[in-house]
Amino acid sequence: MAEYKLDCLHEVCPIPLLKALKSLEKMEIGDILIMHTDHNCSIANVVEWTKKQGHYIDYIEIAEGEWEIYIEKAR
Amino acid sequence: MGLYYKIVKKPWPYWVGGILLALLNISLLLITGSVWGVTTGLLYWGLFIIESLGANPASWYYFNVYSPGFRGGYTLILNPHSVLNIAIIIGALLAVLWANQYKFKKIKNMKQIFFALAGGILMGYGSRLSFGCNIGAYFSAIPSFSLHGWVFGVFIFVGAYIGTRILYKYII
Amino acid sequence: MASSRIEELKRQKKMEVSKKRNQIPYAILLTIAVLIIYLIITKYQITFGNYWVIGILLGITIQRSRFCFVASVRDPIMVGSTSLLKAILLAFIISTIGFFIIQYNAIASNPDIRIQEIPGQFSPVGIHTAIGAVLFGIGMVMAGGCVSGTLTRLGEGYAINLVVLVGFIIGSILGTKHFSFWDKLLISNAEAIYIPEYLGLFPTLILQLALLCVLYYIAHWYDKKSNIMASTM
Repeated sequence: MAEYKLDCLHEVCPIPLLKALKSLEKMEIGDILIMHTDHNCSIANVVEWTKKQGHYIDYIEIAEGEWEIYIEKAR
Repeated sequence: MGLYYKIVKKPWPYWVGGILLALLNISLLLITGSVWGVTTGLLYWGLFIIESLGANPASWYYFNVYSPGFRGGYTLILNPHSVLNIAIIIGALLAVLWANQYKFKKIKNMKQIFFALAGGILMGYGSRLSFGCNIGAYFSAIPSFSLHGWVFGVFIFVGAYIGTRILYKYII
Repeated sequence: MASSRIEELKRQKKMEVSKKRNQIPYAILLTIAVLIIYLIITKYQITFGNYWVIGILLGITIQRSRFCFVASVRDPIMVGSTSLLKAILLAFIISTIGFFIIQYNAIASNPDIRIQEIPGQFSPVGIHTAIGAVLFGIGMVMAGGCVSGTLTRLGEGYAINLVVLVGFIIGSILGTKHFSFWDKLLISNAEAIYIPEYLGLFPTLILQLALLCVLYYIAHWYDKKSNIMASTM
């Protein structure tokens, strides 16, 4: 039930998505990934991809144009 | 709060974007008689810059074949292509500000600069060969029933495949 | 779709987050500026006003819907998702019908119309189109944005896209300068091909709509079943 942090500030598309994908591969079921991103597209494409994979996901806006995305590996 | 959140804060579904872009492109053709294109305007900015530096691009072969043919009141900076391109930048800024989500994002490192510059040059050069980018030679060309749109549409996937390989090899 | 632990993390974070700076006053100022510019350039040339309004709406639409042409061709290859490609195919279906009506009216009012005068975008097609598209495809994936995407992201505040824009302008100038080489080699032998000239306007419309629907269906099916590169990474 570990928590991992992933810093994706100032990254260009599709790096945030690929970083998330790579981290999720190493994680155990039940672990949570916390992504910190300022890429406007992340809250669309990371969310969509993760949902498709069947993991739990939600996000909140923590500053203007900055989000924290939470992903719980479900399978 | 609900409606504001849905329209201004939350990303619209992609299909909504697709429908609106199609309707805007049709409106553009209907109202102005020309379709959406991006590259020509940027080429003119480049020409303006090198002309100010002392070059004479008007003598280039390209302009013997395809003259810009400016009407009265149009220049390299003041022309419909420029207006459209600047409006797109301002429109995006407007949308982010209304969402309270504007943030200036710094450049991260040299690697990012290298890939941005190389990618930009490849796109610029490519768009001269194919007479437009994914907008002029694809998004506007396919609905015009012009064959070059379909050719562009097929081969952009080949390019994207090579690009993705490069991405995996050098960026990740 | 959130688990209870994610809800808990969100709740904790929400308490930490300090009040955000309000950007709405800037939004109001910019909206007023956009209207004033509209009035000024409409006075200068009426067509400029039309381009201005549609450009603003295009920028808003691309930003709000996170529309991205790069992702539409890259993501099917990279992570197997085609939702953007499907959105583009949908856009093609709608604009094909719209362009058809406009072209039909133009041809009906002037049966002797030349191809160059038909409303739309026509350019010579040939190997150069393919080479250009491949170069463009590589470039846009490397840069992480196509040209319209770069303009939108400039508005969103990405400094890196200024570099992409500079690169694009350099590339365009180089391409224009080398144009005589490519023209003599390939382009001068090529012509613009307006498909209805060979098949007729109605059959082309039906054929193209059918093809787009089939592609949409394939994209939909592909999205459901695949994850190609992601699993081999």
